[in-house]
Amino acid sequence: MTNKKISKKDIGKLLEGWSREFTVFVPSKDRGVTEMAKWDGKDTGFFEWYRNTVIPAKSSFLPAMEKMFSFQKDTDGYHLELSQDQQKRILFGIRPCDARAIAIIDNVFTDSYEDPYYVSKRKNTVLIGLNCTNPYDSCFCTSLGVKPTQSVDVDLMLTDIGDEFSVEEITDKGKELLAAASVVKKATKADDAKAKTVTAAVSGMVKRKVDTKDIAKKLQACFSDKDYWEKVAANCVSCGICTLLCPTCYCFDICDELSKKQGTRYRRWDSCGFSIYTRMPMENPREEKWRRVRQKVCHKYEFYPMNFDVIACTGCGRCIRLCPVNWDIIQILSSVPAEQPAKKKVVSEKDVSYRY
Amino acid sequence: MEQKLRKEARKLLEEGEVDYIIGFAPGSLKFSTTPLIAKGKEEVASLVINPFMVNNLAKFLTEMPGRVGIVAKGCDSRSIVSLIQDNQVTRENVVIIGVPCSGLIDIVKIEKLAGKDRDEIDNIALQGEKAAVIVGGQKTELFTKEVLFDNCLACEFPTPQEYDILIGEPVAATCNRELGQEKMKELEGMTPEQRWEFWKCQFGRCIMCYACRQVCPACFCERCFVEESQPQWVLPVPKWQDNLIFQIIRNIHVAGRCTDCGECERVCPVNIPLRSLTEKMYGLVKEMFNYEAGTDKNAPPLMTAYEYEEVKDLIR
Repeated sequence: MTNKKISKKDIGKLLEGWSREFTVFVPSKDRGVTEMAKWDGKDTGFFEWYRNTVIPAKSSFLPAMEKMFSFQKDTDGYHLELSQDQQKRILFGIRPCDARAIAIIDNVFTDSYEDPYYVSKRKNTVLIGLNCTNPYDSCFCTSLGVKPTQSVDVDLMLTDIGDEFSVEEITDKGKELLAAASVVKKATKADDAKAKTVTAAVSGMVKRKVDTKDIAKKLQACFSDKDYWEKVAANCVSCGICTLLCPTCYCFDICDELSKKQGTRYRRWDSCGFSIYTRMPMENPREEKWRRVRQKVCHKYEFYPMNFDVIACTGCGRCIRLCPVNWDIIQILSSVPAEQPAKKKVVSEKDVSYRY
Repeated sequence: MEQKLRKEARKLLEEGEVDYIIGFAPGSLKFSTTPLIAKGKEEVASLVINPFMVNNLAKFLTEMPGRVGIVAKGCDSRSIVSLIQDNQVTRENVVIIGVPCSGLIDIVKIEKLAGKDRDEIDNIALQGEKAAVIVGGQKTELFTKEVLFDNCLACEFPTPQEYDILIGEPVAATCNRELGQEKMKELEGMTPEQRWEFWKCQFGRCIMCYACRQVCPACFCERCFVEESQPQWVLPVPKWQDNLIFQIIRNIHVAGRCTDCGECERVCPVNIPLRSLTEKMYGLVKEMFNYEAGTDKNAPPLMTAYEYEEVKDLIR
């Protein structure tokens, strides 16, 4: 390993240097909620409080609200003005779970159709990770194959080794970024050893576990077990917190703001937790709460892996921490019946057609 | 207390008095509970009573079929009564298991005072006026009034007014509306321009998760006005203007139904001080109509009753 290192007190200088070329985003609570926000050019105090942000880092690529284009009508017809964010950006301090989540939803936005809004922001952004050294009691990343300290899905990865950060170059993008930074030094063997000790200590700190090995199969088997899903959904209040603030949930809705002869098209986060999400003129296949809860769970752990071979969850624990009723996905996944009792097997035609 | 509650709940199920029991079970997070909707009599063994039972369970009543036994704090019982007044719940179908409440612990206040997150706090103990918080082996003495929810500090009815079974002794109100109104007073002290800026900033971070609406027992509409598209009252995009309109209309809709349970503010994932709005409305309703939501099941709902004297002061 040929790692580099940087002193914590030099982080301000480092960010300042990068600010000349990039818009730098760091963990912030200036707006009254923790999120990745534009660096104010001074404060590096986020190391004191930052564990993870409430607003997941996906919002840097798929914002809660995004202007797509505006349009005007005159005698020649309609005129469109595209709105695309082309600024070069650095996200500084993203956690491994959230970086993994972005890699997971990249699949959706680059699959059969390349989403220009998402992809342009993604291409123009350098991800600088900050390994997790203080996971929450609700974190369960290790059950989803994510380690709190790992060196993937980012361009550079930092590990806290006391007064300094050990810096690992993961991609060429990351390497280029460091080349011009004079405050970055070569790490010694002792520094590398420290980073290894930190990594070893943190992996045991993620206490909650769930067996995800056969989860897709189990979910498939109990899809029509209405009793089970009704019980699981009983205390859900159908708000959008666990989905909107999930780093791997990517659903959005599109709507127009219209005034006389002009308008703006927006897209915004949407959630399968809302009954209106599937409302159609004639019927609503997920009118009942248990169907929506089932959709949320099955989409993440059964349908998404069928499409992209990866579970759409990184165990960041936000859905558990932020839920108004403490609906706990770990408990739900652990309670999925292993096998269906024969008498319970009622597959209605309606249910089959509503899968996926 | 818990033993008595479990015994009573079990009895209700065994004797076929109710089909379900709605109460609180221990949560998976430290210092948390989760709503328990129990059908089987074995499940009631996990019912708890503690200062972390934050949810207003009345919310679940409107979606439960059959007869239901429900654990109710003072504010929950008022919400149940309000739902009865609005014909959303039939009194005969509900067995109210009243639990006098001395106030609930606002974990966010403790997090701020201790400078630590929920999971880093070892223990919280309430003893009368004192609260002891242990973090990393270090004990910090706080006052109970520093760690309770604002709405609990302002609570006038800690003991359920409407109940079938009461668990434990009634608790006298130690209500201090001043303490519970600090945030609102601060807002009232602002100029209209400052206040406008304040709310613009607050609603600028709303993500339209609708948790405030979803946990509110007074929000029982089957279809919310924000979901209407013809006419479209608000744009379904979280612009601060639309978020503000949503909250203003929601407030007017729950006027005379809001029991100041504080759930809307507690659940907001982006920390919008929503209770400052509901609290203001609650005070206005009391001042203008001498009406307190959910205190009399036989009273007509506020907005359906009209008295001639009201006209003099209605528009100002």
